[in-house]
Amino acid sequence: MATEVIMPKVDMVMETGTFVEWLKKEGDHVNKGDPLFVIDTDKAAIELESPADGILAGVKARINDVIPVTEIIAYILAPGEALPVKSAPQQVVTISAPARSRVSAAETVAIVSKTIEPGTVRVTPIARRLAKELQIDLTQLTGRGPRGRIHKADVLAFQKSQPSVESLSVPTAAVTAIESTTPVIPSATRAAPQIALPDARRKQVVPVAGARKIIADRMVHSAFTAPHINLSLKVDMTEAIRLRERVLEPLKIQTGQRVSFTAILARAVATVLPHHPYLNASLSDGNIILWEDIHLGIATSVEENLIVPVIREAQNRNLGQLVMALADLTDRARNRRLTPAEMMGSTFTISNLGMFGIESFTAIINPPESAILAVGKMVDTPVAHEGQIVLRPMMELTASADHRVSDGATVARFLADLKVTLENPYLLI
Amino acid sequence: MTTQTTREITYLEAVREALVQEMRADKEVFLIGEDVGTYGGAFGVSKGMLEEFGYERVRDTPISEAAIAGAATGAALMGMRPVMEVMFMDFLTISTNQLVNQAAKMRFMFGGKCSIPMVIRAPSGSGTGAAAQHSQSLEAWFVNVPGIKVVAPSSPYDAKGLLIAAIRDNNPVLFMEHKLLYRLKGPVPEESYCIPLQSAEVKREGRDLTIVAYSIMVPRALEAAEKLAAEGIDIEVVDPRSLKPLDEETIIRSVCKTGRVLIVHEAPLTGGFGGELAAVIAASEAFDYLDAPIRRLGGLNVPIPYNRTLERAAVPQVEDIVTAARALAQEGK
Repeated sequence: MATEVIMPKVDMVMETGTFVEWLKKEGDHVNKGDPLFVIDTDKAAIELESPADGILAGVKARINDVIPVTEIIAYILAPGEALPVKSAPQQVVTISAPARSRVSAAETVAIVSKTIEPGTVRVTPIARRLAKELQIDLTQLTGRGPRGRIHKADVLAFQKSQPSVESLSVPTAAVTAIESTTPVIPSATRAAPQIALPDARRKQVVPVAGARKIIADRMVHSAFTAPHINLSLKVDMTEAIRLRERVLEPLKIQTGQRVSFTAILARAVATVLPHHPYLNASLSDGNIILWEDIHLGIATSVEENLIVPVIREAQNRNLGQLVMALADLTDRARNRRLTPAEMMGSTFTISNLGMFGIESFTAIINPPESAILAVGKMVDTPVAHEGQIVLRPMMELTASADHRVSDGATVARFLADLKVTLENPYLLI
Repeated sequence: MTTQTTREITYLEAVREALVQEMRADKEVFLIGEDVGTYGGAFGVSKGMLEEFGYERVRDTPISEAAIAGAATGAALMGMRPVMEVMFMDFLTISTNQLVNQAAKMRFMFGGKCSIPMVIRAPSGSGTGAAAQHSQSLEAWFVNVPGIKVVAPSSPYDAKGLLIAAIRDNNPVLFMEHKLLYRLKGPVPEESYCIPLQSAEVKREGRDLTIVAYSIMVPRALEAAEKLAAEGIDIEVVDPRSLKPLDEETIIRSVCKTGRVLIVHEAPLTGGFGGELAAVIAASEAFDYLDAPIRRLGGLNVPIPYNRTLERAAVPQVEDIVTAARALAQEGK
């Protein structure tokens, strides 16, 4: 039977490969495992092996062809066998090479080839469920269980090893692009219209790659698939300031840290959010998953990038514990010592730009979350208070939510609750 | 129940204490069996009880388990609360017609007009060198008979509380006392107390794997868990305590938590109660949490040998549980 030779997907984000050369000629006899062809990815040139014994035929790929992954580029035929009229789907060979970045051009990457028929992946129930939730294609995994059975640990390891997986199920380090008025159009968005670049001298060309590319892809995805509702209100922070002053010293003795308004906000959000489940939710596979836990992402600025360390189960932490968790996470974020696991899996994000003097802004939802809270600077503002015009420290909160998951009134109720809580912070006890 | 009155006694003494306290509290309760009176029971459980309660209430019988079960069933029908003892669980084969066809059926067949509040105490299990006819664990047979409850305590505390609950239950309850557990010591309150029949207990908490075990396999599983803890494998041990009615919820909750389950019993694997447990787990919400196949460890499909080495090899020992649990915990890791 004819075996297809395809453009392999050698890393998770690869969509096309550039063909470099055939190492065998059409009509040559090849053995399974013989070096067969070379491709160029954006990371390295990779030599690939023949998936079967037989005769190389039906060669389609030529030098510098940019070929989508899994497209057939040739066949390996048995002696005397004719080329298939159409593609023969029975013998699809999936090539999964370990996603080695920065391999030298000469390095040969071993090809693990296996014939996978639909539904024959050996996988434990929880691993199957997890893969579905994370939108991970199980056929790309090799299980460490008996006879290749895929276990939960395999799925989690795969997820961890693929921070750039385009599946949006993993909120990674990725960075809620906060100043969002001009969305980055990454190379991945192929629909971008061709617009002539300005005729100006170039200072530097920075490739959209790595974390920047992840941010770009996610934000484009979020901005163009999740219809955002943005609602704002102002909160009188007088009592919250008083609360902070009251607990500053005791909590400093207890935790060694100064209580930040971010910590107070985190505590307020974690207290209020359980009453607004549709804002602590994810849209996945036709379902809205309402999360029991609040894994609170805290957008943090690190040099040119923003990262979002996650406080897990924030609903179970008191103010002192949140202060400690925040101090630890932000400190390690700035020293780039966070593990990927600590930067993924958030269910709701808080982004505070008050320290930069920003009074109000709207954020883009950090997928797969369904809402985000943008926090502005506290500004002494003349307001009517008990029949007088007085200066009060007002802070603007803007919640952005995915309109597919929740409606304006839901977001409004959340903001109103949050306002009441922050204005009467003793409710946090 | 207060802790001040709790002291260490053996499983055997806990069974006796439950009997004595129930007989003092309710004069309808009586003990019937071979050598339960003058001799004090085959294993000494009823030692001293004849002196306190007299021949009427601690009744020695001829060597006929059919007669013991029939007499107990009749007494229960007439409103008494008999506790019958067979010397070895194996001899229940002779009582089976009375128990399965009569005691288990009457309440149903007479439309609830009568009840059969009786307890069948049955020393079970191997490990005493008593060979194939005195070493069996026949719980699976009786679990499969509607109308009979089956209880298999693993500690002195459970033995007392469950026996009192069994005596107060209005249905036939088969109460399995493992012979090797009789000498096991543990804290038991002096006062009378009940453990509801449908209440499993988590005997040890752990994250990596659940062992469901009952009777003698509970202390063995706990010992295995301690050994594996040294290797960094954190095992949860769940004891159903009562096989029927079964507290499915506690077991399922544990498996949801750990994602892996090893079921251990002494009775032969084939047709054993472990199959029932496995099916209950597989059909429950725990299915979606399983990260490895449900595994069972049970006795070999052989009559228990007389030879001590072979006898030991025929049923799961601590090292067998260690090996099976370790392999399961590491599967896919």
